[in-house]
Amino acid sequence: MDRKRTGDAGEQAAAAHLRAAGYAVLAVKYRARTGEVDIVAADGDTLAFVEVKARRSGDYGTPAEAVTRRKQGRIMATALCYVKQHGLYDKPLRFDVVEVLFADGKAKINHIINAFGR
Amino acid sequence: MSFAQVYGAATLGINGALVTVEVDIANGLPGLDIVGLPDAAVKESKERVRAAIKNAGFEFPVRRVTVNLAPADMRKDGSGLDLPIALGVLAASGQVGPAACGRGVFVGELSLEGRLRGIAGILPMAMDIAARDMEAVFVAPDNAQEALAAGRLTVYAPATLAATVAHLRGEAPLAPAVRGPLPTPPVAADDDMAEVQGQVVAKRALEIAAAGGHNVLMVGPPGTGKTMLARRLPSILPPLTDAEGLEVTRIYSIAGLLRAGSGLVTARPFRNPHHTVSDAGMVGGGRVPRPGEATLSHHGVLFLDELPEFPRQVLEVLRQPMEDGAVTISRVNASLSYPAKFMLVAAMNPCPCGYWGDASRQCGCSPGDIRRYLKKISGPLLDRIDICIAVPRLEYKEIAGEAAAEPSAAIRARVTAARAEQQKRLGRYGLGANAQMGHHHVKATCPLTDEARDLLQQAFQRLNLSARGYDRVLKVARTIADLAGEESIGAQAVAEAIHLRNSVKESMF
Repeated sequence: MDRKRTGDAGEQAAAAHLRAAGYAVLAVKYRARTGEVDIVAADGDTLAFVEVKARRSGDYGTPAEAVTRRKQGRIMATALCYVKQHGLYDKPLRFDVVEVLFADGKAKINHIINAFGR
Repeated sequence: MSFAQVYGAATLGINGALVTVEVDIANGLPGLDIVGLPDAAVKESKERVRAAIKNAGFEFPVRRVTVNLAPADMRKDGSGLDLPIALGVLAASGQVGPAACGRGVFVGELSLEGRLRGIAGILPMAMDIAARDMEAVFVAPDNAQEALAAGRLTVYAPATLAATVAHLRGEAPLAPAVRGPLPTPPVAADDDMAEVQGQVVAKRALEIAAAGGHNVLMVGPPGTGKTMLARRLPSILPPLTDAEGLEVTRIYSIAGLLRAGSGLVTARPFRNPHHTVSDAGMVGGGRVPRPGEATLSHHGVLFLDELPEFPRQVLEVLRQPMEDGAVTISRVNASLSYPAKFMLVAAMNPCPCGYWGDASRQCGCSPGDIRRYLKKISGPLLDRIDICIAVPRLEYKEIAGEAAAEPSAAIRARVTAARAEQQKRLGRYGLGANAQMGHHHVKATCPLTDEARDLLQQAFQRLNLSARGYDRVLKVARTIADLAGEESIGAQAVAEAIHLRNSVKESMF
């Protein structure tokens, strides 16, 4: 598998996990001028913007560590674009990270709620 | 409910100030913003509050949280606002009934674990709170005794944020804190005047100084007991009155120098800053002004050992507080006035080598050296020192003598009696000691006998006393008369006062 395929497979696995957890997936790979949000989902009334980090090994630190402050800022700006585009101003917003680790042919998923801690 | 209001407190100079903490929770990008002129310590409370709420078993809302600290134009410092901010967040997110916080004031720093930590400046805050229509104050257990010292307040001392919330929810009501035993005054066994052999003249001068709160300069060669005498001065000073104790405690509370768990300060302060002290360290200062040594010596003794070694600038800034009994510091952020009614006690050698005028050793200094050394102490400063005495080397028989010196307790009894006289006379002016009298007080309270008037007139002409010098001689003479229990000031008191003021100064400076 090359890197793009790892990422796409990770996003599919994450979306499936979110649906199973009762989220409604509203958009995948939402793009705006400011950047991209992997998954936009609704958790009840709350809008969750999900960054998916997929890895084939844990040798380079946990995937969540790769979401730097700068990346967080980009995701938040993009989230605001989504909110504006869809007129969802009065919804509570939340930012999650879903780690997907492919090992032994299986996907191990770790969902971090409110990952940016702001 | 997405809005809540909780009362907290901060300090401004030596006063406390009520702070209203308003918390609003709204949708939008999650985050916590604090507005209303917070300083660095308050900004950092963000992280402490977040962790404390989580670790105390509550939920930090994933919303846009805005905290406003009112009044918005006052700079808030310190970490004591952690607790009201945390409670505000909990109340605004519906985890505590918003009405429960009501008319309570919350002051405390939070640990990441959710425990309450004590902070500096509780007493002035509690005094400010007591003066308002507030029901209770919540402080860390460390601060409970200090808060109780303000009186007229119900004090609760929860150990944790969780305990505070349980009390507010009515689940586990706290018992109000009760006043603990007063700290026993330290037994001054190793600081008694009786240990100083000889030096009868110096002791008499210190007794007069202690009785009237006058400034003293002791001059003498090394090793003759100047420092020893000064250190024993607090043991002959009258005990602090309750009002004075409260003032001193306020200052020490602000400066963060109160021992944890203690209430009122009961001993007079004795401060002996090293001569490398800066002028801001001496009178207070800094971007956010803090009290200096002059203020920390309020109602006590400021002892400057090796006076000429202090930078001239540092000594000169003492002139204003010595005259006014207060220090006013103006900075961009605030203009504050700190009380500084201290008794200055200074010690110095007569020359750089220390042996000028000593009978037993040759002084190795040139006249130029000596002049330069003495010139470091300016005329204006010297003019404010009422009592200037020589502390000479003792003869062998004085040191080895068996004659027991008078213990501090006996001297203190006389000093306290003399102070009581002064308070009777000066109480209506709001003064506590003769040294604090202004010109019109001197006029009103220092009746001279005819003999004393003649003596003073002659001395004034012969010694070229300044107008201030004249008043200061009279003040010391007043104290001497008080010690003797005399109503009007006699010639002997005037003669002794003039001698204490001038004989050493004349021969040296």
